Amino acid sequence: MQLVVNILVLASIYALIACGYVLIYRVSRVLNLAHGELMMLGAYLLVATASGLSNSPVAALLLALALSLVVGGMVYLFLMRRMTGEMVLAAVLTTVALGILLRGLILLIWSASPRHPRDMLGWENPVFTLPGDARISLYAGLLIVSTVVVYGALFLFLRFGRWGMRMRAAGQNPLLAAQRGIRLHAVFALAWGLSTFTGATAGMLIALDSGLDSTMVMIGLKAFPAALVGGLDSLAGALIGALIIAAAEVGVIRFIDPLLADVVPFLVLIVMLVVRPWGLFGTREELDRV
Amino acid sequence: MSLLTVDKLEVVYQRAITAIQGVSLRVEERQIVALLGTNGAGKTTTLRAISGFLGLDDARVTEGSIRFRDTQLENRPPYEITRRGLALVPERDKVFPNLTVAENLAVVPSRTSGTARKMEERAYHFFPRLTDLRRRTAGLLSGGERQMLAIAAGIMCDPDLLLVDELSLGLSPVAVEELTKSLVAIRDELGVSILLVEQSATVALGIADYGYVLENGRIVLDGDAQRLRDHSDVQEFYLGHTGSDRRSYRDVKQYRRSRRWYG
Repeated sequence: MQLVVNILVLASIYALIACGYVLIYRVSRVLNLAHGELMMLGAYLLVATASGLSNSPVAALLLALALSLVVGGMVYLFLMRRMTGEMVLAAVLTTVALGILLRGLILLIWSASPRHPRDMLGWENPVFTLPGDARISLYAGLLIVSTVVVYGALFLFLRFGRWGMRMRAAGQNPLLAAQRGIRLHAVFALAWGLSTFTGATAGMLIALDSGLDSTMVMIGLKAFPAALVGGLDSLAGALIGALIIAAAEVGVIRFIDPLLADVVPFLVLIVMLVVRPWGLFGTREELDRV
Repeated sequence: MSLLTVDKLEVVYQRAITAIQGVSLRVEERQIVALLGTNGAGKTTTLRAISGFLGLDDARVTEGSIRFRDTQLENRPPYEITRRGLALVPERDKVFPNLTVAENLAVVPSRTSGTARKMEERAYHFFPRLTDLRRRTAGLLSGGERQMLAIAAGIMCDPDLLLVDELSLGLSPVAVEELTKSLVAIRDELGVSILLVEQSATVALGIADYGYVLENGRIVLDGDAQRLRDHSDVQEFYLGHTGSDRRSYRDVKQYRRSRRWYG
């Protein structure tokens, strides 16, 4: 039973991060390789607001979330905007550079020592015992809840929201979208904002649960196989992919060797790339554009 | 003053290839203007230059001007141009294949806020057949239905000038007939001017008020639709007539007459 809970928690972490990769890829065909760093930046934003607003913790959390949305939009407007309509590879390389830059910047500002935003905000992290004698901490539970909420909201938004439809349209054919009068930059900025927001949500909850230091990037990196296994342009795929990766990882930790944990997602990724390179739910013809 | 004035337009692709040179044309209010020409003559490039390039196209207007009402349009991005009242129905990839018919119309932002509902009714009014196909994925539509949807989406942009690239390409004569009728209806009821690019001169000159013939990136002939229909070279090279109804094979020249344009 504990095994199932562990898988679910890890899967929600991966899913929450992976939907950021999917959102940006679907809209602009750009692989955002700085997503892990942006997620970590989101978590550090919470550290920053927590030290400023330590007497009103809820405000600090909301402010950090809002800031992450803004940061994502800004990354697009000031950096990626120039890459719109250019070669996709150039944009992907730009995100790599951005990631390295962010990592350095975070080290400079917050140093490498671990931070515990939960203590700064003065919150507890009680552990609940579920039926079947499984245990789950409050923030791990919140991770599962927010994954469900975020995915539900994203599905509804993309399906029925006017801007969601525009995002799908721009993803399919940016030229035609522009010719229909859709402001591409607004759509892309929104995608970057939402993607950073969801990533940062994951980052903050992980940091609240178990503290934060610069190794958090690794989690972001491990969520990338989840997005790819599910198919990079499919939200449902990201959910399933996250579940598969998490199950494999938890299974290996439990039954084989905990030291293998960081390798497993990439092993699954390689197997997937050999067998079905466009992912479980991905569209086949999308592949040649990567 | 004309609605659209294109003056000595020159477009260069990839900073090296000149696609059109010295193209000048005008579209007046409530007019249907045809732009004729063979493959590779530069018709689509002309339309694309008017409706705007993205960075992806790697194309630029290097000389000449495009004036729409009072604004210069050259080298602006497409979404700005569409919001000024100039909508393009492209030749290929004219609908979003994974969106439904209704979604294809709904994604178009309204030019003035609060008119989305009205625009939608208008689109279905001109193409009632789309009403039944609302929930159908656009990628599953037939060629004719797809063209209808593309024009309907063009109307959703609430344009003053509609640019249509290759109305009849790959469509059955019945479908083409229906579409040309809708275009005329759109002009008559909404007062929208139309610039129509066509390979089929019969279709284009059937509904146009004025026409231009484009060849090798240059305008070689222009005039009223009637004048173009009567022009012997247009008849021979674009309408497929050979002059008199019956001609003895003895009179047929052994070589193909070359095209020489003297206006």
